[in-house]
Order: sequence, then structure tokens, then C-alpha cells
Amino acid sequence: MKYYKDHYDVIVIGGALAGLSSALMLADKGLDVLVLERHNLPGGIATSFVRGGIEIEAALHEMMSIGPKENRLKVGKFLDDMGVDIDWLQVPEAYHASLPGVEVTLHPGLERFSREVDAQVPGTYEKVLKLLQLCNTVFNSVNELSIHPMSKPQMLLKHEAFVKTAGYSTKEVIDTFDLPQKAVDLLAPYWIYVGSGFSELPFTIFSVLMADYIGYGSMIPRKLSHEMSLKMAERAEAMGVQIEYRQQVDKILVKNGKAYGVRTARGDVIRSDYVISSAYPNAVYSHMIEPAREVPEKATKMVNARRLSLTAFSVIMILDRPAQELNIHDYSIFRGDTMDTDVLYENLAGLGPYRYLTCICHNYGNPDVTPEGTCSFSITVLPRVDGWKSVSADDYDRVKHEVAKQLIDDMSAYFGVNLLDHVLEIVIETPMTVAHYTKAWNGCIYGYAHTMQDHIIARLQTGNEERLIQGLEFAGAHAISGDGMGPQVTNGRKAAKNILDDIAAKEAAKK
Amino acid sequence: MKIKNFLKDVGGASRVTKARLDAFANASPSLETVDPIGDVAREWHPGRIELVITDIRDACRTAKTIRLERPDGKKLPPFYAGQYIVLDFEIGQSRISRPYSISSAPYEARGEHPFVEITVRRSKGDGFICDYVNSELKVGDHLTGTLACGQFYYEPLRDARNVVALAGGVGITPFASMAKEIAAGKLNVDLTILYGSVSSDDIVLKDELERVCEEAGVKNASGDEGKGSVRIVHVLSGDEPDWKGERGFLSAELIRKYSAEDTTYFICGPQVMYTFLRRELQKLDIPKRRVRFEVFGQAKDITAFPGYPMEVKDKTFRLTVVQGIARQEIPAKATESLVVALERAGIRIETGCRSGECGFCRTKVLSGSCYVCPENDGRREADKDFGYVHACAAYPTSDMTIKIPIS
Repeated sequence: MKYYKDHYDVIVIGGALAGLSSALMLADKGLDVLVLERHNLPGGIATSFVRGGIEIEAALHEMMSIGPKENRLKVGKFLDDMGVDIDWLQVPEAYHASLPGVEVTLHPGLERFSREVDAQVPGTYEKVLKLLQLCNTVFNSVNELSIHPMSKPQMLLKHEAFVKTAGYSTKEVIDTFDLPQKAVDLLAPYWIYVGSGFSELPFTIFSVLMADYIGYGSMIPRKLSHEMSLKMAERAEAMGVQIEYRQQVDKILVKNGKAYGVRTARGDVIRSDYVISSAYPNAVYSHMIEPAREVPEKATKMVNARRLSLTAFSVIMILDRPAQELNIHDYSIFRGDTMDTDVLYENLAGLGPYRYLTCICHNYGNPDVTPEGTCSFSITVLPRVDGWKSVSADDYDRVKHEVAKQLIDDMSAYFGVNLLDHVLEIVIETPMTVAHYTKAWNGCIYGYAHTMQDHIIARLQTGNEERLIQGLEFAGAHAISGDGMGPQVTNGRKAAKNILDDIAAKEAAKK
Repeated sequence: MKIKNFLKDVGGASRVTKARLDAFANASPSLETVDPIGDVAREWHPGRIELVITDIRDACRTAKTIRLERPDGKKLPPFYAGQYIVLDFEIGQSRISRPYSISSAPYEARGEHPFVEITVRRSKGDGFICDYVNSELKVGDHLTGTLACGQFYYEPLRDARNVVALAGGVGITPFASMAKEIAAGKLNVDLTILYGSVSSDDIVLKDELERVCEEAGVKNASGDEGKGSVRIVHVLSGDEPDWKGERGFLSAELIRKYSAEDTTYFICGPQVMYTFLRRELQKLDIPKRRVRFEVFGQAKDITAFPGYPMEVKDKTFRLTVVQGIARQEIPAKATESLVVALERAGIRIETGCRSGECGFCRTKVLSGSCYVCPENDGRREADKDFGYVHACAAYPTSDMTIKIPIS
């Protein structure tokens, strides 16, 4: 039986947010696209599962870059433009910070947030607001420049703050504001969403993070992230994209430096002009390119030079009481015994005890998400892959339970309620779970670390020269914009745009 | 504005670009190809694997235990006691899969001579395949299977240390696995199995379980908190004058008698037992989190469920099956699930629990209608909105077109 067409314009490996965004954009321009997804549903980790009759969110804490209906940010606008109609719910707060010497819930809105910080650390309003406004200016420049690139002198004139902060780490820029440590601590909790300590994290990334989340707040889909993933997939299919589930791509076929198709695990050879890979460059260059001699040396060095960022460990519980009765009062709680992000980053290299926890009580953003009288509560750490690499198959279950127990005990002590007495359902997701369901290299969900040696601006500057095999693009957390569910849409669009530009250039050359 | 000084400030982009290119230039040219986290994931979940039957023995008058190993003698994937294996069979034209609770212990899959065992009753319920497994399979036969699956296992962060297992018939198998793991000192649980059978020679794995109980010892006998215990209480419903043990069904009264203050109940057995036990457990006022049912299984008679459209029950519909750009038409009986129709036609669809829970057989309905077994509707909300069904729990009520993964 013949399951595939003889030829596609583009084959997308992986039907998660990045791959689906590529597919949507390419189909919108009339291209013939095939998406091959190894799992039996779309979304990668942007998904849900059902336990004991309750549907549970697998990974999405809060979606950035959506914005309110009348004033969409870039991801929200793209989804609207593509006809992907998601029932977004606004997350009611930024976060509850539980840090040494401070317990406070902070809310989105640059002024409001600054006022709330000022209430904790009097006399800091002006400076905190100024810092957030600087973030916002850089954020606006990033958005504009990603659409309309311009010359350096022009950039200096029109995007001064962006240019002048580009070469500095978050710590270097924040230091110039001379804020009391406690105020800096209150600005730091979101660091874990970009996954580098402030002495390494480019200020550009910090700016985008803060301006987007603090400026506009975040959203979640009513029917969990599966709603988002499925609606993207369904829309893509309605636009003519062929999506095939349970089809793992083993090989990307390359001849004379040009990709011309893929081979699946069941042996289908499928041809195309372009391939978009959601598989990590590490996997692609180490064993997916066929023949292997087509792997350029530069690709190998590039992969070796880059540091894999964070993976995920989550304990997700359905508890048999309403949240308030368990002393849980916030949608998100960021809890650390220090807010020194460099120290915390080191702590993430091991197997615990982990010192920085991210908790979500889903019901505060989505009240009907669990049956009456129950609530959903998750505790997440985002470790570096390093520590987990040493765990063997026979040790895995013991380590998994030890880490989970530590997280639950820590939060039980904090709430003054033993959460273990209320567990209706519990699911422990580990780096291995991520690797199992998505095949992400070493279970890494954050791609390559945002550092001063692997700076977003440098990635943008030299991105074109890093497309080493003609017709092969990458889309996923390992691509230019890095980690986060919102940025995956941007990564997917960038891969699609590269292909559309390439096609346009070829058309132009013909004429 | 100024961060440090003008030249340093405006040179930022060039500086970071150079830093990145320098890092590339100085990197090692030999590629690190190891993915140890992925390797552990693959060791636990290798997908479909080759298996060979190395032993078949009687588990009682009416059931057999089948031992499976890897042809190369390597370890089988780790699993939790209570999980199941999905075995594939090709019988005539049909390509069929079935889940079986693993009756051997997890440690036995990881030892010197690794194996897993399943225990299968002859001609109970799903007779066709049970007969095949009981009479056709021979030592030395090769088959394929996927393990381990399922959520029916002891979770120390959720369940009480005191566990009362309520087992009926061949539903003893997950508890046999659990008991052996406890006896080996690998699972720290105090397990009491209340095992309902009709007659004493129907008791599956009787001798084996008695041995396991002896090995494990009774609760607190050793005074070692780090070690679990196992006891088994047989309950006979048939009329057997010489029987000295408990009689009747697994009633609320009986359950109370063998329960400790904080107890988690695990239930596995035939569908009629589930209906009965739901009522009995209600009488005991047990918190919801302390009760764990194994999945329901394929509905024995779908027409008995509320809302089933009786007017279609004798019909056979036309099922158009889309895989990729290919289409084929097959017949589908109203009273058989879409999975059964596909298997009969020799079209392989991945299945796991066959109870609507695991979602392996997630299928898109492109047109037509079907009835979803309410006992087995484990779908995601958004999936319901877009016409997805779990094909093992969906029964056609009109001609249909469905899309399933290429197999």
C-alpha cells in the first residue's frame, strides 16, 4: 500500500509546537507539507494525560507572548492569523515569591509590579520601574529587528538600549541600578524559565523574559496544552498538511550537501525539497544523517561547543481537598532558599536536594480543571542534564522517588500540611520521561544554554552560516530563540521563513 | 544611556558574536554521541521486542503459566509489580494484540536468568484468543510484545503501606507479582490478598502463592520495618463441604475483617466483581484515594451499557480506514469495537489496555458516528471536541471513516 506521496515540498520531523508552527506557516503559503511525529498525538511536552479519570497538564506552566485579544503579542497574533482559535485564560498573577526573608505575591503590569516590590523594599519604585522599562525597550527592539533587520549605525540610532546592553550579562546590567539585594531577588524568580544564572545570562534574554511576562502576564489554554497542540495540528490538516503519528524518522537523506528526504523506522523513504528537524543537532549529526560522511566537520564542532541546558523533573499531584484547605493560595509559587541564580544553577547540576522549586496550582488559573473538592498541584525543578546522566536503569526508580519525596516534603513543610496525606493521583515526570515521549536528546527540553558565549544576538548574526546542509532547517528549543513554549512558535516560524526565503531566491534567480 | 563606556557598550554585539565563533573554532571535532538519559528511557521502554517461550506449566486445573525470555537471554525492561505486557499474535488473517498482567516479579526480569511470566485462564471471557494461548502456544515459539504498561501498581508516595488486594479468578496475577517482589525484599508492603474463587481446584497459582507467603512471612514476625509481608485468604463461593476457610463473596464485612486502620485497596478481577465491589466498598466509607481498580477490560456486552442505541446492535457497517494517503474498506459489527474490526481485517493498530485508558489506539473519526463505552472513556477533553476516540472503546453506529497511524 502507498501511504505517502512521491514528493513533498517540506517534511517536518516532529509534530510539537515548533514543527506545527512551521507546518502552518508553510501551508499558509501553499506548500505541500508532511509532518512525521513519533508519538501518537501532537505537542511533544505541550500535552496532557488522563489519570483516574482526571485530565492532567503535563508541562505548560504559563504561555508567554500571547497578550489579550485586542492587543496580541507575536505568538498570540500568529495563532490568530493562522486561524488557530484557542480558549486562553489569563493567569491571575506573576508569581508568589517565597525567598529568604520575603513572602509576597507579585502581579503583572510594570508599574503595579514595581509598586509591589517597593512595598517590600521601600524606596525602590523608581529604579525597579526604570529597569523594567529598559527591559521593555529592549524587548520592543528585539521584536522589531526580528522582522526588519537594519544596519549597525541605524540600529544604534533607533535601538540604542538594545545595542548598548547587547554585550552584557544580566548581572552586569542590573548592577548598574544599584538596587538593594532584596529587590534584585524579587526580580529574579523567572530566571528558571530561561535557565542560566545571571552572570551568564545575556541581558537581552532577561529583558524579553521580564517585559513579556511582567508587562503582559501569561495565559493558559482552558483544555490544557493539548488544546493548543491539537488545534494547531487540526488547523494544519485543514490547510492540507499531512500529519502522520507513530512515525519515527531514523535518517535524514543527504546527497552532495543537500537534504532530499527521510527514512522512517518502518522503512519508508520519503522525498522532499526541504527537511525541518525538531530532533536535536546532537542526534542529527551523530546518527541521523545518511550517509554519515555528509556531516560537515563544522557541524560537529558547533554541537560540541554548545552546552545543553535544562531538562525537567515534575511531581504532579491531584489532591483530595480544595487548594485553600491545604494552605495553597497562589497559581505559581517560586521558592528558593537563596535567590543567587549562579548558586542555584550549580545546584541544578546534581540530583538534589534541589534548592529552587517552581509550583503550580492549576485551579487558580483554571478553576474547573479538576473535580469539585480536589485540586491539582505540581512541583517542578529543571535540572541540568549532567546529574541525571549518571542514573542507571536499575537505579532510576529509587532516584526518582527520592527526588520526588524531597520536593513534596519541602512544600509540605512550607504549607504546614502533609501533602502525602492527600494524594489522589501522583505522576512523576523525569528527564527519562521526556526522553521516552519526545526522544529529546538526553531529555533536554531547553535546547542550548543562553550564555555570553552562545548569545541570542550572536545566534542571529551567524545563523545563516550555520545552516550547514542545504535544505535542512532546525526547529525546536535547540534553535535560535531557545527554550519555552512561546519561543517554539517563533523557532518554527523562523525555520519556515528560511525555506520561504530560499524558494523566493531560487525563483528570483530563474527570472 | 551608558552601561560601562561608550566603546564597550556599542561593541557588545560584535564581542558576543566573536566569543561564539571562537568557541566553535576551539571545540573538539569528534562528536560526543552518547545519550545516557535516552538510553535509560529505552531500557525501560524499548518498544516492541522479540520474545521466546521457554516454559509452560499448569497454574491450576484451568490456567497455565507461560514464561517468556528474550532470545538473546538479555534482561527484560524494568517494571512495577501489577503492570502488564502486550503480546502480539497472528492467527489466520488476523493481527491481534492482548494485554496480560505480568505474574512474575520485577526482580526476576532483571536477574541472572531474566524472564517474565503471564498466567492465562482457558476459555474465560475472550475465548477465541484464550484458547489459542492455552492450546496453540508451545515452548520454543517466538512472538513479539511490548512492556511494561499500566497504572495498576503500588506507589509509595500515594498508597498506604497496608494493602488489601481483592482478587477474583485470574485477576490474581498482578498480586502474584507483588507478593513475589515483597518476598524477595524488594517491595516494602504488608499485603493481604483476599482471593475469591468458585471452587478450590479453580484457584490460580495456589501452591506458588503459598510458597511465597512462607518466604515473605507474616506481618511483624521479623520485627523488621524495612521488610514487607504477605498473607493470602482464599474465599470460596461454590459449595464445597470440606472447605475450612472463608466462604461466600468478597463482602464489606469480610473486607473490614482483614483491613488495618489505614489501608489501600487494589482490585482486579472480572467485570461482575467490579460492580459488586463498588457497592461493598461504599459501605466501608473508604477515602477515594485509597481505592485502586485495575482497568475494566473490553466490555463483555456493549449493548448492556446505558445509552447504547439498541436499534443498530445487529448491524454490520462499512468502515473506511485511512492510513496516510491509502484507504481501504472493511466490515465492522456494531457490537464489536473498532479495534476488533481492524484486527479481524488484518490491519495492525497499536493497542495497550483495551479499556480506553492508555490511549495507544487513539483514532480520528473523519465521518460517521460511534458509541463510546462510558466505563472506558479515557479521552482528553480536546480530543472529544475534535472527534478522536480510543478505538478499543468505540463501537460503530453508522458507516464510518477513520484515520489510524500507518502500521
